[in-house]
Amino acid sequence: MTTAQERVFIVDDDPAICEGLSNLLESVGIAAEHYPSAEAFRERWDKANAGCLLLDARLPGISGVEFQEQLREAGLGIPIIFMTAHGDVPMVRKVMKAGAIEFLTKPFQKEELIHAVEQAFTFDRARRREAETVDSIRARIDTLTEREREVMTQVTAGLLNKQIAGDLNLSEITIKLHRRRVMEKMRAGSLAELVKMCERVNWPRTEASETS
Amino acid sequence: MEQGAFSDWMMEYGLKPCAIAVCFVLVALLWTFPLQHVIAYPFVFLFFGAIMGSAWFGGIIAGSVAVALSTLVVTYFFIPPLFSMSVAKDSQSFLTAFFVCAIAITVVSSARKRTESAIRVARDQLEVKVRERTAELVQSNLEIQESERQLRMLTEAIPQQIWRADAGGHVEYGNQHLIEYLGRPLEQLTGQLFFDVIHPEDELLFRRGWHTALESGGNFEIEARVRSAGGVYRWFLVRSIPQRSAKAEIARWYGIHIDIEEQRRAQQSLAAAQEQLSRLSHTLGMAEMAASIAHELNQPLTAVVTHAYACREWLNAEPANLAKASATAEKIVQESTRASAVVSRVRALFRKDVQVRESTDINWLIHELVRLLRDEAIRREVSIRLELAGNLPRLEVDPVQIQQVLLNLAINGMDAMTHSAGPRELAIRSKKHSDNEVLISVEDHGPGVAEEIVGSIFDPFFSTKPQGTGMGLAICRSIVEAHDGRLWLASGARGGAMFQFTVRAQS
Repeated sequence: MTTAQERVFIVDDDPAICEGLSNLLESVGIAAEHYPSAEAFRERWDKANAGCLLLDARLPGISGVEFQEQLREAGLGIPIIFMTAHGDVPMVRKVMKAGAIEFLTKPFQKEELIHAVEQAFTFDRARRREAETVDSIRARIDTLTEREREVMTQVTAGLLNKQIAGDLNLSEITIKLHRRRVMEKMRAGSLAELVKMCERVNWPRTEASETS
Repeated sequence: MEQGAFSDWMMEYGLKPCAIAVCFVLVALLWTFPLQHVIAYPFVFLFFGAIMGSAWFGGIIAGSVAVALSTLVVTYFFIPPLFSMSVAKDSQSFLTAFFVCAIAITVVSSARKRTESAIRVARDQLEVKVRERTAELVQSNLEIQESERQLRMLTEAIPQQIWRADAGGHVEYGNQHLIEYLGRPLEQLTGQLFFDVIHPEDELLFRRGWHTALESGGNFEIEARVRSAGGVYRWFLVRSIPQRSAKAEIARWYGIHIDIEEQRRAQQSLAAAQEQLSRLSHTLGMAEMAASIAHELNQPLTAVVTHAYACREWLNAEPANLAKASATAEKIVQESTRASAVVSRVRALFRKDVQVRESTDINWLIHELVRLLRDEAIRREVSIRLELAGNLPRLEVDPVQIQQVLLNLAINGMDAMTHSAGPRELAIRSKKHSDNEVLISVEDHGPGVAEEIVGSIFDPFFSTKPQGTGMGLAICRSIVEAHDGRLWLASGARGGAMFQFTVRAQS
């Protein structure tokens, strides 16, 4: 899962800029790929991609700012570093508010770029780890039976075994049994851990929710 | 009905005349008896009176009856032998004469009577007619009064100022709107006094137009500012048309003042907005062009900078990656060349390689300029005075560029007078400078150019105006110099600025 190599995806319509940036990143040992437009990048996009996006704010076709919005709406959390030759303050404010890592004004210092890329990679790692954890919790929940899920819901809601037994019309012994199996299957050491896991995947409210 | 009509007829033509005749003859007979003792000869003259009376009052029928009765009575009572119907021989001629006279009297009297009656009838008819006519006259008089009243109400109801003047232009009538607006009684509006309410700047034109209209008898129409009672001037369209008499002479003038203040304001603000827009789009164009040039240059520069960083990294690596460093250096050269090409392209954009030179009449150019500036000058209340020398040699110039110089200097001059109180006059002059040079000067009545900035006014990007680009005079000077001329600042006679430039004449 973490095997995907981290790389910088450069999107700029000027091939000279793309080449220069690739060259610079390569020279400091960071892998890079470049695309002439947001559309071209989207075609090659894979959810498993790791790294960050180095996006020109003004692109032909879909602009960088629009692309950021599209990615966010699609629930793709890849971190974005913006670059532009002429950043106006409202635009900078907008993209930063929308979660951009950095806004670089061309031409920029090497250190600025490297720093931003490292920040983005760190952010991306955390993001991917989070996504991985969420995925594994989901997978564990999937192994539970219907009855076990019911019990888990009530347990994490803070109900006592006695109350649960009353609610589900079962004996307290049976509830205890289900409860132990839930803890095993969810690989939870304590009730607190189980509650935390459920909170992470928003159980039982919404199952299909990505954490960002 | 038939019966009634017949009895009426009988009454009118039978009984009534007979009764009248009998009465008259009886009266004559009764008077003749006593009188015949006084007069010896048979006295019959009273019968003539009776016949006359009968014919007068009873008509020809009564007359005839009276004649017959009188003849019988006279024959019986007064012609010998008396009391007998026989007539003595010697009385026959007398009786005949009596009879003839009686007939004549009847005819004459009844004819007189008929004429008299006809006259009376005619007079009566006349009287009736007169009465009818008088009634009609009274009626039509009322109608005229009513229609005049309505007309007057109409003139008062119209939300415009209306007046009527005699042939000489003396106001006789003005509606309430006019009197209220001007705030003075009609008597004070007559004749020359009327010009008092016209704005001093419009007065000359107004007077001239009015006198022309008075002389030619044509319609008069002018836009002028008219002072209200409160001392405020508003724009009016003053229009007046003459009414001609039957002899084709002007009898009256009818005038209307239409308030066009709002319209004027709208026009002026529209013009101002247009000017601002064109200025804005001009500066916007500049800004956008600058941004686009900056972007064009920034791209290769960014590439150069990133490649340069990369090059250093390749060289600093252990061991140094010379192949990569060399390839990167090559990229730096490529991108630098690209940046330089952008600069050349921008320069080419601004340079005009093709020079236009056309044989041009400078005075014509100035006239064209004034035509262009007319509206602007009116809006800014600037009058343009031309002092153009005749017989100037033709110039070999780019007319568009020279006009651009003139326009720039003229607009600068107008700008300089924006806050001037005195008469705002822009003087444009042309004259021969030397044998092969023409001198053109543009002088304003503004405050002049301050001492400390005289040295900088021709510098690019130097401007005293908030929205100025500071390029105007710099461009003017470079245009003039491209024409082998000179552009400089001199002092105007009245303290304003006077820009002068020379242009070489056609060789």
